[in-house]
Amino acid sequence: MLNNVLTLTNLTKYYGKILALNNVSFSVPEGSVFGILGPNGSGKTTMLGIVMDILKPTSGSFTFYGQPGNANMRKQIGTLLETPNFYHYLSGERNLQIAAEIKGKGHDQVDEVLKKVDLLERKTSKFSTYSLGMKQRLAIASALLGGPKVLVFDEPTNGLDPVGISEIRTLIQRLALEGKTIIMASHMLDEVEKVCTHVAILKRGNLLTAGDVDEILVNDEIVEVSAANSLLLATVLKEMSGYDNIKQVDNDFHLLYPPAKADLEAINRYCFKKGVVLTYLRLKKKSLETKFLELTNQ
Amino acid sequence: MLSLLKIEWIKVKHYRTFWLLSLLYLISLYGINFIAYRIQDARPKKNDMANLLIGNPPFQFPEVWKTVSYMSSFILFIPGLLIIISLTNEFSFKTHRQNIIDGWSRHEFIVVKMLLTLILAVVSTVAVFITAICFGLFERGSNFSIENIEFIGYFFVQAISYTAVGLLFGLLFKRSGIAIGVFFLYVVVLENMLAGLLNKYVYNSGRFLPIETTDNLIPFPFLRNIVNPYLTITDPLLLLVLSAVYLTIYYFICLKKFEVEDL
Repeated sequence: MLNNVLTLTNLTKYYGKILALNNVSFSVPEGSVFGILGPNGSGKTTMLGIVMDILKPTSGSFTFYGQPGNANMRKQIGTLLETPNFYHYLSGERNLQIAAEIKGKGHDQVDEVLKKVDLLERKTSKFSTYSLGMKQRLAIASALLGGPKVLVFDEPTNGLDPVGISEIRTLIQRLALEGKTIIMASHMLDEVEKVCTHVAILKRGNLLTAGDVDEILVNDEIVEVSAANSLLLATVLKEMSGYDNIKQVDNDFHLLYPPAKADLEAINRYCFKKGVVLTYLRLKKKSLETKFLELTNQ
Repeated sequence: MLSLLKIEWIKVKHYRTFWLLSLLYLISLYGINFIAYRIQDARPKKNDMANLLIGNPPFQFPEVWKTVSYMSSFILFIPGLLIIISLTNEFSFKTHRQNIIDGWSRHEFIVVKMLLTLILAVVSTVAVFITAICFGLFERGSNFSIENIEFIGYFFVQAISYTAVGLLFGLLFKRSGIAIGVFFLYVVVLENMLAGLLNKYVYNSGRFLPIETTDNLIPFPFLRNIVNPYLTITDPLLLLVLSAVYLTIYYFICLKKFEVEDL
């Protein structure tokens, strides 16, 4: 039985009259890479802000390893929330020294984490001279201080170039392999799909679903077929079984299959046997974007 | 507590604005007293009538404690300004959030800033103490005396009142521009205006407004023999008690506000 690192119970947050988080409950199991997915303004940052005590919930509560949240618990979590927040007039190194002091850790780890995010050479430059990507990497370095067992990343690849994005993904996967629990908020579906083991989907403050990523972000399959004789093909396909749905798009037919159930060879053989020679046969994965829009539009 | 201050020290140590303003402030403490010194030094010294009106020379012991405390209090808005900058910087960099995220409690964050108001008041008081001694010893015919030294204590109360009000304004307005503007106008003009109105129409009660209360601890030190009959001298003990009440209120609001609201 795995322990839950973080458990949210009926969290609700109003900003004045605006409901930002509506009765959200779920648990983050230990050792998971937990993605919190949702479009902009869906309440991801609000939720993490409450967990980090910079926002007060209107109602509801959360526990961390079964205990109510407190300052000492936050010292054990590495967090990057929303934007990198640092003293503009201080160097990257000094900014990290402040974070290390607050966490009650020595300064000796500062160089180590700076090296991990490739900022060692710029450590004496003022934060205000950093590019957006460097600021983001400094924030990630800060989260890594003290080797926390739990990491919280809010849009970790914000502002990074493609190389940076891929580096951060590799870093997250490596941290996950080390057995760390990672909670990651993102509006980028492929990001979540590539690195997460679990996912919760938020939309306008409501939790749509939460659970194993393989169960939630499964890809339906679409088989596109066409033949010279569309009318005959239609009759033949209607007699065939195994698919969930059929749709005609111009002269093509789209057959919708549950994940990993489409068998192109069988379809081809079946049609040929019924006297239809296919001119076009193609398997398409339903795009994750479509799936995401579907989930958040329901 | 010491580790909290150590972190605040890292924040301040490399902040050039802070040190530049502090340096100019210390120079100005001397400067504003020097201006007063030059003005009173122009008096006719051999004229018995003038000496009778003026009373004891203001820069001789024991008058110098009063005079330097009084003159120095005119630039007490600078320590208030330093506190406002220190706090509103955190808001604009959002580092107040980051400090909490990294593992400070909200209580710890605001307590450090409250300690900073105390430290700035202490440093100001020490500087004024030294300035007063220098002027007192420099003046001819002056012998060191600790009579009236309580005015240095009153100056401390006044200093901490200004820094605490600075903290409160920084917390209420969050952005440096508006906080500094309102703070200056309030302590320099608005409260004096309000005090004048209240003094005139509501039983002389304007002198018990927050800043006026501590300002009145150190009354106008020049031309005592002329102005004394016209000044309402308020019992310093009453003013001290009232100052303590005000300070408690400022700190209480700061603590509660920072611990309860969204950051």
